[in-house]
Amino acid sequence: MSSPSKRREMDLMKLMMNDYKVEMVNDGMQEFFVNFHGPNESLYQGGIWRVRVELPDAYPYKSPSIGFVNKIYHPNVDEMSGSVCLDVINQTWSPMFDLVNAFEVFLPQLLLYPNPSDPLNGEAAALMMRDRPAYEQKVKEYCQKYAKPEDVDATQGDKSSDEELSEAEYDSSDEPLVGKPD
Amino acid sequence: MISRKRVVEAEIDQDQAAAVADETLHKRTREDLLISSAVAEETSVMEVDNSQVNGMQIDADGSKPDDIDEDLHSRQLAVYGRETMRRLFASNVLVSGLQGLGAEIAKNLVLAGVRSITLHDEGNVEMWDLSSNFFFSEEDIGKNKALACVLKLQELNNAVVVTTLTGNLSKEKLSSFQAVVFTDVSIEKALDYNDYCHNHQPPISFIKCEVRGLFGGVFCDFGPEFTVSDVDGEEPHTGIIASISNDNPAMVTCVEDERLEFQDGDLIVFSEVEGMTELNDGKPRKIKSARPYSFTLEEDTTNFGAYKKGGIVTQLKEPKILKFKPLKDALRDPGEFLLSDFSKFDRPPLLHLAFQALDRFRHEMGRFPLAGSEEDAQQMIAFAINLNESMGDQKLEEFDRKILRYFSYGSRATLNPMAAIFGGIVGQEVVKACSGKFHPLFQFFYFDSLESLPVEPLEPSYFKPLNHRYDAQISVFGSKLQKKLEDAKIFIVGSGALGCEFLKNLALMGVCCSPEGKLTITDDDVIEKSNLSRQFLFRDWNIGQAKSTVAATAASLINPKLHIEALQNRASPETENVFDDAFWESLDTVINALDNVTARMYIDGRCLYFQKPLLESGTLGAKCNTQMVIPHLTENYGASRDPPEKQAPMCTVHSFPHNIDHCLTWARSEFDGLLEKTPNEVNTFLSNPDVYASSMRNAGDAQARDLLERVLECLDKDRCESFQDCVSWARLRFEDYFSNRMKQLTFTFPEDAVTSSGAPFWSAPKRFPRPLLFSASDPSHIQFIMAASILRAETFAIPVPDWARYPKKIADAVNKVIVLEFQPKTDVNIVTDAKATSLSTASIDDSAVINDLITKLEECSKKLPTEFRMNPIQFEKDDDTNYHMDFIAGLANMRARNYSIPEVDKLKAKFIAGRIIPAIATSTAMATGFVCLELYKALSGGHTVEDYRNTFANLALPLFSIAEPVLPKTIKYRDMSWTVWDRWIIKGDFTLRQLLQWLRDKGLSAYSISSGTSLLYNSMFPRHKDRMDRKVVDLVKEVAKVEIPAYRRHIDVVVACEDEENGEDVDIPLVSIYFC
Repeated sequence: MSSPSKRREMDLMKLMMNDYKVEMVNDGMQEFFVNFHGPNESLYQGGIWRVRVELPDAYPYKSPSIGFVNKIYHPNVDEMSGSVCLDVINQTWSPMFDLVNAFEVFLPQLLLYPNPSDPLNGEAAALMMRDRPAYEQKVKEYCQKYAKPEDVDATQGDKSSDEELSEAEYDSSDEPLVGKPD
Repeated sequence: MISRKRVVEAEIDQDQAAAVADETLHKRTREDLLISSAVAEETSVMEVDNSQVNGMQIDADGSKPDDIDEDLHSRQLAVYGRETMRRLFASNVLVSGLQGLGAEIAKNLVLAGVRSITLHDEGNVEMWDLSSNFFFSEEDIGKNKALACVLKLQELNNAVVVTTLTGNLSKEKLSSFQAVVFTDVSIEKALDYNDYCHNHQPPISFIKCEVRGLFGGVFCDFGPEFTVSDVDGEEPHTGIIASISNDNPAMVTCVEDERLEFQDGDLIVFSEVEGMTELNDGKPRKIKSARPYSFTLEEDTTNFGAYKKGGIVTQLKEPKILKFKPLKDALRDPGEFLLSDFSKFDRPPLLHLAFQALDRFRHEMGRFPLAGSEEDAQQMIAFAINLNESMGDQKLEEFDRKILRYFSYGSRATLNPMAAIFGGIVGQEVVKACSGKFHPLFQFFYFDSLESLPVEPLEPSYFKPLNHRYDAQISVFGSKLQKKLEDAKIFIVGSGALGCEFLKNLALMGVCCSPEGKLTITDDDVIEKSNLSRQFLFRDWNIGQAKSTVAATAASLINPKLHIEALQNRASPETENVFDDAFWESLDTVINALDNVTARMYIDGRCLYFQKPLLESGTLGAKCNTQMVIPHLTENYGASRDPPEKQAPMCTVHSFPHNIDHCLTWARSEFDGLLEKTPNEVNTFLSNPDVYASSMRNAGDAQARDLLERVLECLDKDRCESFQDCVSWARLRFEDYFSNRMKQLTFTFPEDAVTSSGAPFWSAPKRFPRPLLFSASDPSHIQFIMAASILRAETFAIPVPDWARYPKKIADAVNKVIVLEFQPKTDVNIVTDAKATSLSTASIDDSAVINDLITKLEECSKKLPTEFRMNPIQFEKDDDTNYHMDFIAGLANMRARNYSIPEVDKLKAKFIAGRIIPAIATSTAMATGFVCLELYKALSGGHTVEDYRNTFANLALPLFSIAEPVLPKTIKYRDMSWTVWDRWIIKGDFTLRQLLQWLRDKGLSAYSISSGTSLLYNSMFPRHKDRMDRKVVDLVKEVAKVEIPAYRRHIDVVVACEDEENGEDVDIPLVSIYFC
């Protein structure tokens, strides 16, 4: 692993090399937005979320803070703030992890396997436990309403004049999960 | 301050007191300050309680919680707890020998707060003593040492009775004390005193300690049978049970939430176990095969009930009995020495011998060996050889004469850093002796810092005394180093507990004490009462004044030659106009005296940049660490770090707390939301409604909506106009927090709910909550209402009526409040959303609601009085009368009650919620002593990394771990190599393109260039290609918004690059571009 002082630069670079669309605000490296696609084979397939990433001063020793900007219906995501309750990101973070792990592994796993026993959105968790079809219906409704690709792109255009496109032509296919060691 | 709370019983002999009083001592601003020193030939006889065990007094008449001044002692209480503090307050201690070491010990004990301390010394102050005793000034020369200290010591804490004894100390007098400390006594006398103490009923704890030049040693004997009540000072470990087998032996598994910290042989008790209820009998049980998440129990549970769920295991801390040997046996058979430095594993037996040889020398010659005298050294070595021959099977095969020679040379000197280290150690041992808290030192400990000597050979002429206050130090290090110390330019960052100790040390050592020398100290904080129990340069009349200024003035009284400037600037990027390049370049060494990692990291970065040695230290309760950061020799502070503190997961804090910390975290955040954030938000709205409305519309998200709802609630439905309104609000908050929310939660997740996999939802570590039923006759409910309504009134600037402080009246007022029956909501959100489904664009439902809220808000603000504003309240943990901690403790405890979590008292709540860092004087003083031993090396120059030492110590165990610093990481690339201390320098006003080419010429392909947290260039961003022909310095100014001071000729950029050949990342040094 390279020097911690350059981890922000490296992480950012690796994200873009992995074809993630990264949007920076005034070239600041402490806070930026990344577009995240709902993983294949999950209820969230086809949805796109703007995910806000904040890198604290002590990054990578301290975990990044990750939150969904547009709404998502998920037992472990706070409906109002978009905060994620995911132990690998919050509690068991290690400086060995990087942002590519977060976007390629942690978030897809979270969306594929919600954990209703530790809910942040209690209602979603309860519905998932009690009435699975209604829950699935609602997840999809939210995707259709709040996570449409055209809306996500539109919000970006509206809000930021400093949008960046990764050099690699952006394609909408969800890359299959690469088996990464945790 | 304290006199109200504690009765001071000593007689005052005004005449004699005045005779020794220094003029400077009469700067007291308070008339009512009571001088409680008794100065007399004979100590006043103190009553000895009959209920003594181990020589410690136990409060026979039960607890008197009021006798601890919690505001003063909060940081120390966080280390010791109330019981230990009470035992300390009941202890009488003798300190014999008042050179630097005695002064340090006495200072630490007076700050800690023993009942009485008696200073014994028969000698008079000499110039020589001024190098280590910070109580002495030149005017004291010729006075009795104990008398010269007493008033200044007394000033530190009026609750302690400080007396003196200037005549012969008969051993019978020792019976008045629980602990006696001898810092300058012959072995012959020590044996006599120790024999008396060891055989006394109850035994008197005996400590003998000496510092001789760069060598020191301690011996402890707390009697034939001493009970240690708490061997390590750690909280008992706990675990949340997941399952218990019906087996022999039984296997207990815990939830994989936190690793268990039990060890084989630990005793534990069970509680709350369902099913296998036989285990809830409170009986201590022994565990074995302790693993991270499980252990076995030496018990047959085959016939017990089957485990259902729940259960907590708590470690039971066992008292330990120590059998101390008396000095006469221990001298001959010292047992195992406590080791501190593994590179010197063979040294303790040698020092054991050396100290005895020195005693023999003094006995025979009636004086100390002379500094630099080879003849005296040989004489002492001869005594050592003699003694060794008589040691029988303890005899050393061979020993290093060089070490003994240095020991002889410097033996007369008490060096301040050594006194600070041993003063801390001995101070802590006295606390242990008086309270049974923490494991005593068993029984000998020796330490030396020979590496502190200058590298170049010392000529005997260097040691010649100059008849000034530094003579003792010169006798060890020579006059050349003394001059370097005096001429040094030093920066101390922080003037708290560590800062005060450092100032004292530097003043005594003469550092920055010539006209060429300069000490700069900075701290942006002011003095608070809770500082006084260890920041010993401050007095109660300094409360509210700037720490750095008061400390600097006090240090100048210790040594008037100290050349010091006190500043009130926080060391941070914002103050780089004050601490500019010229300032940094002028420095020789930087000493951190900080209490937070952020500031440490910042100073580390600056020292790294300006290539200055950084002497770093920190304390946590009885623990301390020191780290030397020396340019090019060691790694920097930021190179290795502790993992960040674990935070409880959000979902746990929100809805599933399982310990009091979770409840307190929640309470803190509710406090901030209700009393600070929402009132601030209200004011932001009121001061400019239009701007506020449009920014909320712009944001248009759920968070904006939530904020608006809170503001509207505050100004409309929940607005308070009278104190009764505040009581109503408090009552409704109670209902919402502790009843309605619990009903809602248990409605959403009923007790028998199961997860998708069929497992019970409410399984460990989750605890099933039950709503509280409000009762005006429950004092804790009324306390909550009282604190909440008083704080609410404050935010609305409503006067708090006198009756609000009477629980009975609050109960009457709360009974008038009408509370509506709560109905749990059934999928409310789904209903709302059904309506919204018809709307096509994302987030339109939020926008609609936001618009509606803004309209309502504008309506309601018309009804407000003009210029209406709320008063936001900032949490302040250290004011006992502001109701902040009452409210937070109330919130947390009521929530704990919901979840059947044990509640805590206000003090404990304050420690956790206020994140109070436990701190005591002993470990702080010791840490600065260790650092100042390194300061000799840093200022002398020429030392290799093998000479430097980093320290980790825990006085509670006690444990000392002293080792060489870690080398900086060397990076190799092709035929080059560098460390974090190196920099690449470019002369020329380069454009981005030129910079990239410059790197390419080295075979490096740069993909990212940044300045601070701003990205100047990233190869993936097409837009950055436009910057190619811009000057890098202009990009730094424009993109990173760096203001370059007129005098500065260069800028620095961080470059991330790869080896062009193999694509591997190369971690290159910082690149400095000299643009003109």
